[in-house]
Amino acid sequence: MKHVFVLLSLACAALAQPKFYPDDPLDREPAPRNVDKVLNRKLSDYYDLFSHQFGKTGERQPKTGPPIPARAVNTLGEPMDGAWYVKRHYYRRMSPEELKRGPGGKNPPAGAKWTVVGAKSEGITPGFTILDEKKQRYFIKFDPLSNPEIATAADSITSRFFYALGYHVPENYIVFFRPEQLELGPDVQLADATGKKRKMTNRDIYEILVKVPKTKDGRYRATASRGIEGKPVGPPRYYGTRKDDPNDIVPHEHRRDLRGLHVFSAWLNHDDSRSINNYDSLVREDGRQFLRHYLLDFGSTLGSASQKANSPRSGAYFFGWKSSARQLFTLGLAPPYWAFANYEKYPSLGLFEGDVFNPEFWVAEYPNPAFLNRLPDDEFWAAKQVMDFSDDDIRAIVSTGLLSDPKAAEYLVQALIKRRDKIGKAYFSKVLPFDRFRLDADGALVWDDLSNSVKDTRIAWFAFDNATGARTPASGPSPWAVAEITAASLPKQSVHVFVRSGTIVGLDRTW
Amino acid sequence: MQRYLASLLFLAAVLHAQDPGSRTAVIEKERDAKAAKLEPDEVSPAEKRLRMFKDGKYLERLAAGYNGLRVKIGNMVTGGGFAIGPEYFREDLLRGRLTTRASAQFSTRGYQKYEAQAILPRLANGKISLEGIGSHRNYASLQYYGTGPQRPKDLRTNYRLEDTSVDGILAVEPRRGVKFGASLGYLWTNVGPGNDKRFASAETVFSPSVAPGIDEQANFLRNGFFAQYDNRDDPLGMAKSGGNYVVQYSWFHDQRNDRLGFRRLDIELQKFIPFLNKTRVIALRAKTTLTATDDDGQIPFYLQPILGGSDDLRGYRFFRFSDRNSMVMNAEYRWEIFSGLDGAIFADAGKVFPRRGMLNFHDLESSAGFGLRFNAHNATFMRLDLAFSQEGVQLWIKFNDIFLSRRFGTSTGQPVY
Repeated sequence: MKHVFVLLSLACAALAQPKFYPDDPLDREPAPRNVDKVLNRKLSDYYDLFSHQFGKTGERQPKTGPPIPARAVNTLGEPMDGAWYVKRHYYRRMSPEELKRGPGGKNPPAGAKWTVVGAKSEGITPGFTILDEKKQRYFIKFDPLSNPEIATAADSITSRFFYALGYHVPENYIVFFRPEQLELGPDVQLADATGKKRKMTNRDIYEILVKVPKTKDGRYRATASRGIEGKPVGPPRYYGTRKDDPNDIVPHEHRRDLRGLHVFSAWLNHDDSRSINNYDSLVREDGRQFLRHYLLDFGSTLGSASQKANSPRSGAYFFGWKSSARQLFTLGLAPPYWAFANYEKYPSLGLFEGDVFNPEFWVAEYPNPAFLNRLPDDEFWAAKQVMDFSDDDIRAIVSTGLLSDPKAAEYLVQALIKRRDKIGKAYFSKVLPFDRFRLDADGALVWDDLSNSVKDTRIAWFAFDNATGARTPASGPSPWAVAEITAASLPKQSVHVFVRSGTIVGLDRTW
Repeated sequence: MQRYLASLLFLAAVLHAQDPGSRTAVIEKERDAKAAKLEPDEVSPAEKRLRMFKDGKYLERLAAGYNGLRVKIGNMVTGGGFAIGPEYFREDLLRGRLTTRASAQFSTRGYQKYEAQAILPRLANGKISLEGIGSHRNYASLQYYGTGPQRPKDLRTNYRLEDTSVDGILAVEPRRGVKFGASLGYLWTNVGPGNDKRFASAETVFSPSVAPGIDEQANFLRNGFFAQYDNRDDPLGMAKSGGNYVVQYSWFHDQRNDRLGFRRLDIELQKFIPFLNKTRVIALRAKTTLTATDDDGQIPFYLQPILGGSDDLRGYRFFRFSDRNSMVMNAEYRWEIFSGLDGAIFADAGKVFPRRGMLNFHDLESSAGFGLRFNAHNATFMRLDLAFSQEGVQLWIKFNDIFLSRRFGTSTGQPVY
């Protein structure tokens, strides 16, 4: 019997995977598997709306018991560079020029003549597809007559913020052109409002341009969004995984880069952050084909709703049972917080402000499972990146919106600064806001307090058994150690820093 | 003992072999597991159907019709029942410069309406529009309670109205929101016994002295002018700020015996006062119709201003009051319940009166109630109003905005639109 017990004990010890492996922490995802067959499927935006609004999509955090921590991260809690995300500004500070350049910066439509090879005339968002003289494909999108500059500025600014925040985004350029610059390609088909196709004519180009604003010098201002490399295969969802992608192994609702996207979206008012505004592309690199995941379509961010100013209820769900019942039965006498916002009247900005904004209350247009699953450490991961944008960084990126009214540009900068600071205040108080842990020349553990406000920190060292996870009070030098950092002012929160032979290999946060 | 040790060593070796040994290997193992069960990432049948429904543009195709031919539903006079019929609609003629429309509608209550319209909406860079419209209407049982403000509600009768009209309207918009125009037209009318057997026919109850024109046919040459200042934030949809101010003056020249000719002044003022970022709106409207005749002239009862119904005094039956003049005021407090639904609390007050000097706030009929406004794309597509008055409760289900402007021109001078 005694032997059986010993045997089982040894078996359990052997079964337990070590907490850290020799290659931890991984900076990059392992090279992707080659993807042979992947279905180019379209999603329904109606289905997306109704299934998220009235159904339960993805795996949600349990109501009781331990929460489901974010995945697709390394042992430091950072997403790895790869198909979804690349560590950028917070990790390797980008210069103002790099911030302004964004994902490209070198490939605006070239040449004096652009060939129109497609167009969308129906609906309220007309636009063209063109080939420039280098045969590069661009999608040309315009501002509404009522709000010149609003959508093009939002697209340019927000795409650069998201790029600096680590996401894959398309190259967006603000361009100015005259109608003579457009040349209709041969046999271009145009679908009317009913989907009926016919050959496009120069008159159709004129009809589209009639609906968009001109600059004072008679040119048209537009966003030229460079075609994303690779083959489109339909957008990723905010839950589950793609069944045909061997590299997609973490349910999207548990990805830190998608959970944290909530905080970025709140900052930039990307309330239109839904599946169909994402994009998967089958790309080829180093002899392998794999899917890269993009965020798209930022014309409805900041104060813009693309074809008009955003609704003041932006940042609240279209519909909520409780909020609707409250409004119905109080006869509207208990207005929601966002109704009290004061907006400056800048047509090029729409409705955007930082005084009433509350990052804790902000939500997208309808429930998003990844956003709803976020935990304080997800929020901290995002907030630390938001807070890392200095006022000058923000000003640099806002300048790419080419807002003709300097007052509007400065108002936008100040609103973003206010929203940034509110995000820091909200999320730096939920966990110990310490980051950038390192060992100094004397081997002492040091870190940055991102809030600059935590006092009375204490550190306790333990020896750590990587195989079993056991901790014992440190009695001398050990190849494995863990430092427990606490603060008297935040007694429920701690950070555990794991050190292996003088290298920091892991972080755990509690709250 | 040796046997136990051997077992232990064997087990340790097996378990050790399962340890991936690196984080990379852990991830690769998960990828292996995924790769072993790859399948096409199909969307669910429900999602596929919804996408096909949208991509198929069925609603757009239904609205656009087949080569301009489509089904027209509704838009019949209140009380006419459910109306449906074919409509031919084109807005791509003359390279989009000409819009034409022709329709024939029949309702469940036996009403008929035929209309044809041609509009050149964008002359002179959109500053001038020219419209021609012709219509024939045969309404089998319009309600009539007699002329005058104090007519009891159990005096309800009905009559048939049959008329044909042609009108031309020229409008000039020198600057955004400011519009002037003039119209000229001809109206042939015929009234007869109503066919709703539940109620007496009007001519059996009312004499020509109470209901002028009930015993004779009349034709009218009509002309007029109008002016509008409109600074509503969304004139075609659900306005939440600004105002709409319209004045229209029309002459109706009796072409048969000159006794039924009259002049008519319509004034409508709308004001929308938003607060809390337009999530709350006080919507106000005041409108009056004043008429005048020559010395012994009379106004045909079917062309007299009317009040009552879903669009003015909502606590009363439609066409409840009629006389030579009318005034009505509406106030609504609207609030956003969620992005597709607004609530409304409203109060209406108004009256009809025989002399223009009685244009005052005395002896007003009133009603109040609450409602719901269902909206999409910033326009009301359905409203429910529950209204209370001293004559009872009325529930209205309508597919329009109560303050939505009617089109201009002398044809709108006809109260039974």
